[in-house]
Amino acid sequence: MKITIDHHRIEAIEGMTVMEAAAAAGIVIPAMCHIAGVHNHPSCMVCLVKDIGRNQFIPSCSCLVEDEMLIQTHSPEIRELRREALELLLSDHVGDCEAPCQRSCPAHMDIPRMNRLIANNRLQDALDLVREEIALPWILGYICPAPCEKACRRGTIDQPVSVCLLKRITADDDSRRRNNLLIKATRTGKRVAIIGTGPAGLSAAFYLLRSGHGCTLFDQHSDPGGMLRSHIPEERLPRHVLDAEIDVIRNMGAEFRMNARIDDRRFEETLLHDFDALILATGNEEQKILHDFGLILDEEGIRVSRTTFGATHPGIFACGTPASKNQMAVRSVAQGKNAARSADHFLRTGKPHGPMKKFNSSFGILWETEFETYLVEGSRDKRTEPAGGLRSGFTTGEAIREAARCMHCDCRRQEDCKLRNYAGEYQAHQKRFIGPERKMITKVSGHPMVVYESEKCIKCGLCVAITSREKEPIGLSYIGRGFDVRINVPLKGSILEALTRTAEKVVQSCPTGALAWKSK
Amino acid sequence: MKKEEIIEKVDLIVSRSGTSPDKVIPILQRIQEEFHFLPEEAMRRVCEITDIRLPEIQGISTFYSQFRHNLAGKHMIRVCTGTACHVKGALQVYNAFRRELKLAPGEDTDRSSIFSIEKVACLGCCTLAPVIRIDDITYGHVMPEQAGEILVDFLRRPQRKGPVSDSGLITVGNIQGEIRIGLGSCCIASGSAEIKAELEQTITESGIVVDVKQVGCVGVCHQVPVLEIIKPGENPMFYSKIKPEEVKEIVLSHFRPINPANRFRTRILSFFEKILKDGAPGTFERYPSEQRDSPLTRFLEPQCSIATENRGAVKPCELDEYRKSEGFNALKKCLKLMTPQEVIDEITASGLRGRGGAGFPTGRKWQLVHDQIHFPKVVICNGDEGDPGAFMDRMLLESYPFRIIEGMIIAGYATGASGGIFYIRAEYPLAVQRIREAIGKCYAEGILGSRIYDTDFSFDLEIFEGAGAFVCGEETALIASVEGHRGIPRLRPPYPAVKGLSGNPTLINNTETFALVSWIIRNGAASFASIGTVKSKGTKVFALAGKVKRGGLIEVPMGISIRSIVEEIGGGIASGLGFKAVQIGGPSGGCIPASLADQPIDYEALNNAGAMMGSGGMIVLDESDCMVDMAHYFLSFTQSQSCGQCTFCRIGTRRMLDILEKIRCGEARSGDLEQLEHLAHNTRKASLCGLGKTAPNPVLSTLRYFRQEYEAHLEGKCPAGKCLPLITYTIDETCIGCTKCAQQCPGDAIGFTPYEVHSIDAEKCIKCDICRQVCPVGSVKVI
Repeated sequence: MKITIDHHRIEAIEGMTVMEAAAAAGIVIPAMCHIAGVHNHPSCMVCLVKDIGRNQFIPSCSCLVEDEMLIQTHSPEIRELRREALELLLSDHVGDCEAPCQRSCPAHMDIPRMNRLIANNRLQDALDLVREEIALPWILGYICPAPCEKACRRGTIDQPVSVCLLKRITADDDSRRRNNLLIKATRTGKRVAIIGTGPAGLSAAFYLLRSGHGCTLFDQHSDPGGMLRSHIPEERLPRHVLDAEIDVIRNMGAEFRMNARIDDRRFEETLLHDFDALILATGNEEQKILHDFGLILDEEGIRVSRTTFGATHPGIFACGTPASKNQMAVRSVAQGKNAARSADHFLRTGKPHGPMKKFNSSFGILWETEFETYLVEGSRDKRTEPAGGLRSGFTTGEAIREAARCMHCDCRRQEDCKLRNYAGEYQAHQKRFIGPERKMITKVSGHPMVVYESEKCIKCGLCVAITSREKEPIGLSYIGRGFDVRINVPLKGSILEALTRTAEKVVQSCPTGALAWKSK
Repeated sequence: MKKEEIIEKVDLIVSRSGTSPDKVIPILQRIQEEFHFLPEEAMRRVCEITDIRLPEIQGISTFYSQFRHNLAGKHMIRVCTGTACHVKGALQVYNAFRRELKLAPGEDTDRSSIFSIEKVACLGCCTLAPVIRIDDITYGHVMPEQAGEILVDFLRRPQRKGPVSDSGLITVGNIQGEIRIGLGSCCIASGSAEIKAELEQTITESGIVVDVKQVGCVGVCHQVPVLEIIKPGENPMFYSKIKPEEVKEIVLSHFRPINPANRFRTRILSFFEKILKDGAPGTFERYPSEQRDSPLTRFLEPQCSIATENRGAVKPCELDEYRKSEGFNALKKCLKLMTPQEVIDEITASGLRGRGGAGFPTGRKWQLVHDQIHFPKVVICNGDEGDPGAFMDRMLLESYPFRIIEGMIIAGYATGASGGIFYIRAEYPLAVQRIREAIGKCYAEGILGSRIYDTDFSFDLEIFEGAGAFVCGEETALIASVEGHRGIPRLRPPYPAVKGLSGNPTLINNTETFALVSWIIRNGAASFASIGTVKSKGTKVFALAGKVKRGGLIEVPMGISIRSIVEEIGGGIASGLGFKAVQIGGPSGGCIPASLADQPIDYEALNNAGAMMGSGGMIVLDESDCMVDMAHYFLSFTQSQSCGQCTFCRIGTRRMLDILEKIRCGEARSGDLEQLEHLAHNTRKASLCGLGKTAPNPVLSTLRYFRQEYEAHLEGKCPAGKCLPLITYTIDETCIGCTKCAQQCPGDAIGFTPYEVHSIDAEKCIKCDICRQVCPVGSVKVI
């Protein structure tokens, strides 16, 4: 039979769904409650399309094609209905995508995952993970004021997880620091000049090198490190720590040109001429020169795009103190990274690019009645104090113990959660339909590998359908109906009994973070 | 209870019900009958010995509201929260019983486990509102302050098992006349069982030879209990609102006792004649049945009985009587003289449309099933009437079981189906009982079973008791429920007519639709089509309740105006306040304001006005009814009845309710009305089934006609004085200091100050409304 979807004439076969017919023509329709091969009732409604003939909105995942059907998959009205479906789901979705610690970290480091890796004594993996967002973990492990610990939910119960010291231990080993540095890099042949070797400049160099670009760092001082060296006393930051992390960057291939004062001539003739991009990470000095080169200055420093760090002149980026004054080193490190990523994008495509802002669900304060639930996955020990004192930091044993205190507020499906991804795509607001009071959080963690957080469930029933199809002896069940319907193990059974052979399939099929691998 | 005992009982139940997955609902119903709740052990046992899986039994037992998961008290108090009861203060009654039982929030059973309490959707006795039922005893017109009294009364009653028996006295000898007693649910609720017992005693004692005929619902539910006395040579006489102690007087005023030994008789008679002459006797009303301009004729005259033909004159389960009034003639005519196609053509020509609410042409639906080449086919009677404020199906099933059976057999013949299912709400025990009895009699007489009336046509009928889910009124959800699943609607197409129960072509019609079929066949399509409007033919049964003087079950010709129904049949507003609106179509319908009451009853006209025909609940509202409260009431009903599948219905209706709740509490801000309206429109567009698509109607129709009332709430005022958070109770200076209110106040908010003007402590007042109701001089005011 023939049907029309968005003005495409499509040959469809009887028994196909509208979504399948659209896919055959390359038209992608969003879906959450539907996966191929599992028979399920339509429920989420993000796959709505308009049946023009009947003047009705239909769920394309399960409506079958009919001859000469006229289907519209994109229109402002359809977009609005999909967005509203997402907003309704989000209004009933209690959970955080990213944990409060990660959201409060200027470098946006994935702290809960680091904690899980450390708790499992996987320090190398932990360091690799930390370096995805923080180029100088050892240094920051000494000096970071740790805003993450102020946001840590464990703090509402007893004391926050000692994140800063945990981060420090990931990098406190020579051989660990040398591993996996340039794993992703293929050389691009492009060259970037970085002015300033403070935290921002070093960070920018680290990420540009990892992206395969050549890096030359200029600094008027004789030793690299900027204010890390000049403003932070040895007692707070041992110089061997600073030197070691600078060596890492040098070993990655960075060229350091010290005692190099940037004047007008040098700026124009060398930097703008010999390099493909320029990152200004200069600190407070040399503002005059920058001004002379047409970069607009204001009270805060150089005027740059707040998202891309690109200055008014293409190919010039600015970060660190010149972009804004009085900041934490971790913020400089983050800005150096973002400027590097933007520059990398510029070098590849000709356009700068800011970090992707992803949708974040958040539920705010943890209730006292939920402490127990949250402690199920965290050790009940008090905060670990390093036996050798703050300066010597954690031993591995102490670190493992401390990392186990993390309650895993983050969603372990934040990368592939369809609800999150569509919420971003459709610009949904979680608070548009806020209910009078949020639901209480539950975590079912009786399974060694799987955690089930029912308040993240969108009641699509894929897991119920799969456990039923696979003839699980107990399986999962809908309980109740209407707004209060939930999915759980029948007759208060344990989730371990429920998922004897389908754990992998149900976790994979779950469109949100309701069902997830504990160790992710 | 011991585990072995549970297992033994479950095994017995399963051995009687069967072990296939579709038997899960009947099995759970039997288990609950046995244990008064569903013990976990019992459910596990069912899974061990049947093909039912644990997740299914858990899913189903928590989907249907009939099922309980914890032990209930010995007696169950069911407080009806149907529309009529709601507008007459059901919530106050519910709270009064909770206070009486000293229940803490979250509890539903008192400490000594004697009573449990629950709200129920609609008991279908709307004219007696507010209504509560304790086990099988129904109390009507309940006032909050009577809660304690009622519990005492209930415990004092001799315990009676099961519903009222239909068996009557057998009379021999020269019959002096006939006494008809109404035994519909409303009648029984109002005490007609006691009237019947008194009647039988009077007859036995006096030796009068009369036929006592228990007839189905007469329709004048506002006047129950009723008696009609028919005596050769006399005008039939109709008595209403009678009390047991008045029965003897009434009977003896008509019939001379044969046994002259009764010494009291003459005395009673002369006394009775005296009071009759002196004026109104007792509390009952008495008028000749055919007297012009009596309240009875004013109630009945504008009506037109087709589905309710011979109402008040036939005994529901008496097959011979049904036959005498042309019963089964239509079936014979179809089977012997007409082809299935001719039957369908006749129904099509009559213009009959589905009486369940949406108004799909019945003939076309029959044709669709008829044209399927897949067999077997099945016919289902949808008697899952769940709208709060509707009791048409209940009355039709209770009063005319044979008529509906006849309609179903004819439909079976026309479509080529070999069997049929009555889907009846479990809350209607009397309907289930009567249909069961009627089916039994039909089998005995060869009207059901193989080779009906010696033709080649065979047809079987069985009953499926719904387990309490409004959404199962939706045909695909109903089918899921019969198949033993959670009542989740599925997408159409395919329509049930093509692929329905177990994948077979299935004809689903509403009870009332089937009740009209035999009349159409007997009298011809043209007679039916001559009644009504261009697109809406024939008659429609409505449950008229709310603030009218005369409520009850009415059948009116299509095209009659809403105003005629309210003012002529209903006798206008009882309270003397202004007529404000009519709520038509229940939770899927809307409120039509008094200014539009000249609208004719017609599918399209009602839709255009923002309401819908629905299954026929019609609640009349006066000026003391708040439209925000009405919208909130209906939406909270649909919201609680959502199956929970699709996002817009599951969460959208809840968020709409959240906004309405804010409005009702005076906490809404500007912008909330717009958001409510916006969400209502989107929920209507994007819900999967009819329940979600129509759930916003009460909100949208009240916003359309009564927006200023919503706006008043935004400013913190409830003009009708209904929304509790926005009102305060005060006593004005007309108070005579009688202390009645102070004695009754459950919150000790009124000081005991005899002969002084009382006052209410607003801090302590729980707004239970008792003071206002007991005040003899109307000094309690709501502001």
